[in-house]
Amino acid sequence: MTRVLFPTQEIGSLAKPRWQLQGQRSEPLDEGAKQELRSWDARVGFAAEAPGVRDALLGGRPRDVAPETVRDLGALFGLRFLETVGLDRVYDGEARRIEMYEYPIRQMHGFHFGGHVRSWDNKYYLKAAVTDEVRLDHPYHVEEFDFVKGHARAEPKLPITGPYTLADWSYNEYYLARQPGWKGRAARRAAQKEFVVDLARRAIRPTLSALIDHGCRVIQIDEPAAGTHPDEAAIVVDGFNAATEGLDAEFTMHICYSSYADLLPTLLEAKRCRQWAWEFANRDSQGHDGYAVLKALAEYGDTREVGLGAVDVHRDTVESPEVVADRIRRAAKYLGDPGRIWVNPDCGLRTRSLPVAYAKLESVVRGAALARAELENPRR
Amino acid sequence: MIVRTGLTGPFPRSEALVSATRDLDRGRTTAEAVEELYARTEGEVVALEHRLGFDESTAGYLRWPDLFRPFAETWEGFTVGPLTRWLETNTFYRQPILLHPPGRTPGAFAARLPPPLVGAPGAGRVLLPGPYSFSVMLDNRSGETEPALIHRLGRLLGDEVKELRERGFGTFLFSEPQLAVRPPEGPRAEAVIAGYRAVQSALNGGTSIVWTYGADAVPAFPLLDRLPVSVVGVDLAETEVEALPPGPSGVGLGLGVVDPRTTLEEDPAEVAKVVRAAHARRRPSAVWLGPGAPLDLLPWEPATRKLHVLPAVRRALTEGTP
Repeated sequence: MTRVLFPTQEIGSLAKPRWQLQGQRSEPLDEGAKQELRSWDARVGFAAEAPGVRDALLGGRPRDVAPETVRDLGALFGLRFLETVGLDRVYDGEARRIEMYEYPIRQMHGFHFGGHVRSWDNKYYLKAAVTDEVRLDHPYHVEEFDFVKGHARAEPKLPITGPYTLADWSYNEYYLARQPGWKGRAARRAAQKEFVVDLARRAIRPTLSALIDHGCRVIQIDEPAAGTHPDEAAIVVDGFNAATEGLDAEFTMHICYSSYADLLPTLLEAKRCRQWAWEFANRDSQGHDGYAVLKALAEYGDTREVGLGAVDVHRDTVESPEVVADRIRRAAKYLGDPGRIWVNPDCGLRTRSLPVAYAKLESVVRGAALARAELENPRR
Repeated sequence: MIVRTGLTGPFPRSEALVSATRDLDRGRTTAEAVEELYARTEGEVVALEHRLGFDESTAGYLRWPDLFRPFAETWEGFTVGPLTRWLETNTFYRQPILLHPPGRTPGAFAARLPPPLVGAPGAGRVLLPGPYSFSVMLDNRSGETEPALIHRLGRLLGDEVKELRERGFGTFLFSEPQLAVRPPEGPRAEAVIAGYRAVQSALNGGTSIVWTYGADAVPAFPLLDRLPVSVVGVDLAETEVEALPPGPSGVGLGLGVVDPRTTLEEDPAEVAKVVRAAHARRRPSAVWLGPGAPLDLLPWEPATRKLHVLPAVRRALTEGTP
């Protein structure tokens, strides 16, 4: 497929609109939610594709529609939101997902949820222990992908949590118990590798295979935990390679908020990874060049694509297209090849309001267009 | 072998407390109802510590949002900052932002201690951030240099110790992950020693425990062996016993033998074997056994279950039972 220079993509989830949350709970929409639905419909045009759902929600008859149907409309909204901005690769804003750990784990055998762990303050999450050999009960995200495929006008890219992150966010009981003697560092490392590779082979790979059978061509494997233990980069790679072995699709790896230099060059052994989708904008401030780490990829001779995080997802301030274009220019200089750059936000935009997310994505698209125009029509 | 046991950080909240605190945030319950549950759960932790034969009680520090908040919210010069990752975990703390050189507010920290400890201070183990980890994990915008800040935090924590000694507390555990994660050198290392000297001069016969975790503590031992403290603790999930510098050591050796990164229960015989090896290598005045890192990385139930290894190991070491 021939692509424009600096194509654009999303990375992860969007905030769920209020009308979707209220509608899924079968609550009558409050005025703010109704207004939100109307205004986004006017802007990105999605509700007319499901007029019955729209009319039930706006008409105060939420019980006339099933929660799943409201979720479908939420997914349609996410798609049209991203397509209307002008992204080349889209998904559904992860409209059906509420997190990236518990749902995949619940599709597998071998895990036990033993209670809540505090994330911070009064926020908690369920963390499972692996207590038996991992086995996949059902490939997941397949119906979700089918819906996206059936409705997307741009190329879809499916995000899925990677094996290393699923393992790192779980308690390793079963595989650690198999290690002889004291469960010190060496034993923990060996047990972690076994756990990650088993997850990859027995759960992630069959899921990826099912998705590919359903026509999924571009898959983003999310490994946010990769950066928390740089000394385990080899295990991240083992997991990625085992999950993708023998599969024919375009795989990308998203890692965020990490010291990428600490993961190199080990990470480059991820054989079937076609694109590194990393966060950079977050660290590009106060005289610090957040894109300089890309020089390391060039130095190691890595020629894969880069999904360039060009807007910070943790701040409401919207970067101008000129700032985005400047970041693209710098990245192109460091990589030595502008043709390898995709442009995207640092990470998922779900912590930002929908208007801010939209504005940031607009800057991504316009910034890419600016940089493209400069390269294609250089000033003399 | 002299063996002491106890918690080395906050205990997880019970599932009932998880629900209640969530409900409080969502306006579904009252502060009074949550307070009542805190009190009841603290009582359960104290009872557990007593049942397990621990030498001191912590009551779990269940009310603290994180290790630094009691200071960031009460000491002068601070404001509470953004969510920040807690070491290499999937949990977070609000990073204290230091805008001006810090100053303490007498009585304010004591008011944040778990009520059961205030009622029986002699049996309590006070949890504090170590001055070095505190300085590394805050956002220093005060203009003070890092060594000066480390020393100042040590002096202020020493003042807290002095006040708490007067209230009857005797044992103080300083949580110092960063001593293992980023061992200080040069002026920063000297400032750490000076900071703990300030603590030591306030102890007046009390016990000071420095507990390291989050990384291999061996590279930090040139400094740890110079600290004027009663006990130095290491996390045995990170630190290899064979790599510990040989003794004799005049201070107590803390050994983190319960790993909060896994729900797998430790084998008492295996733990006893490792403790004997560590004791033979370091020849400390006593061994202090506990969780290697704060146990609140686990849910309540597995944390409670895993702690039962400690009395079993203690029996094995002191009575020679297998």
